[in-house]
Amino acid sequence: MANADAEAVDFEPEEDDLMDEDGAVDVENSPRATLPKLKSAITGGASSSLSAPRKTKGRGFREEADADRQSRLASRDFDSLGSDGGPGSQRCQYTILFPIRSYIVLGFRVNFHFRAIEGWIILVTGVHEEAQEDDLQNAFGDFGEIKNLHLNLDRRTGFVKGYALIEYEKFEEAQNAIAAMNGTELLTQIINVDWAFCNGPIRRKNMRPKLLIYFLKILSTF
Amino acid sequence: MQRCSQISIAKETKCIIGAAIAFANQPVRVRDANMATAAEDEFYLRYYVGHKGKFGHEFLEFEFRPDGKLRYANNSNYKNDTMIRKEVFLTPAVLKECRRIISESEIMKEDDANWPEPDRVGRQELEIVMGNEHISFTTSKIGSLVDVQSSKDPEGLRIFYYLVQDLKCFVFSLISLHFKIKPI
Repeated sequence: MANADAEAVDFEPEEDDLMDEDGAVDVENSPRATLPKLKSAITGGASSSLSAPRKTKGRGFREEADADRQSRLASRDFDSLGSDGGPGSQRCQYTILFPIRSYIVLGFRVNFHFRAIEGWIILVTGVHEEAQEDDLQNAFGDFGEIKNLHLNLDRRTGFVKGYALIEYEKFEEAQNAIAAMNGTELLTQIINVDWAFCNGPIRRKNMRPKLLIYFLKILSTF
Repeated sequence: MQRCSQISIAKETKCIIGAAIAFANQPVRVRDANMATAAEDEFYLRYYVGHKGKFGHEFLEFEFRPDGKLRYANNSNYKNDTMIRKEVFLTPAVLKECRRIISESEIMKEDDANWPEPDRVGRQELEIVMGNEHISFTTSKIGSLVDVQSSKDPEGLRIFYYLVQDLKCFVFSLISLHFKIKPI
């Protein structure tokens, strides 16, 4: 009989992930009721020596939770596009495995991006506060027709808040814009460009595509 | 004999690779040093404003969850209208921008002890978890800057007032772009 040992780098099978799809945040309870659970899950997941005690402030802790608060955001019937399945059906990140030899498997984590009703929306951050819509139109108009542009202002100062949301009609246009403009300079400031929406919960631990190498030792006795 | 063992190796390899795929798509934990930063990276935000009156419980509420889900709810019975509920998953970039907006406003340093209590006119709630700080402020509705100036803590209330406006701007942009609600 052959035995198989799996050794994985950066893998600890004993512990549960904090933000398991089915897990810590229960959609049936209000956020208020789950927050104590959330708190303990977060600080309990990491070893307690590493996390500082959480500081709390505010009247909301002293008041009794309104009965209404439990039900407002707790309902399941929220409109969403596409990702209507139960927890665990859709994710932002998947691992694709390539078996190289019979004992080596290479894994890549990839992100899946999500489409709005009719277009693809990207988020630009680090926008200079005196930027105008025209500046963004000129910079991002090369990649395709901009269907929608939101350049919100800071309500107190009247300057640009610092982010912009741009909608393209086609996936390739948006992807080219991200690839070309991310990390470049606009009006003397470095901007970052990325997708705005995805189709499932994010894995906070591994947000960047990572190369995971799984070594499988196959001990065979035949 | 040789052929048999070759076939059996292929089967075992398939089984193992299948198991590895199942393994790999489970949550993976990055060790130790990153765990502390993971706890500090926690982010959750909930804002509610509403009142109960002639048209029922009219409120606006949105919630940024740590897993990236943005939930938005708006309710009114005015002219027999019903509840609007939308939700969408956001990328880490969007959450990061939201955190930046909050940390730049410095709302986490404020306290609502001297803010007006919620009343019949209305109620606002702002609950933020950022890192190891958790604030939960409640106050009455703020009509305009006059209400801010005449309160016992104008500085803090002003920060709250403008932060709420900036957050609403952000959320409305995200929701309307995603669900394509264009003005007529």
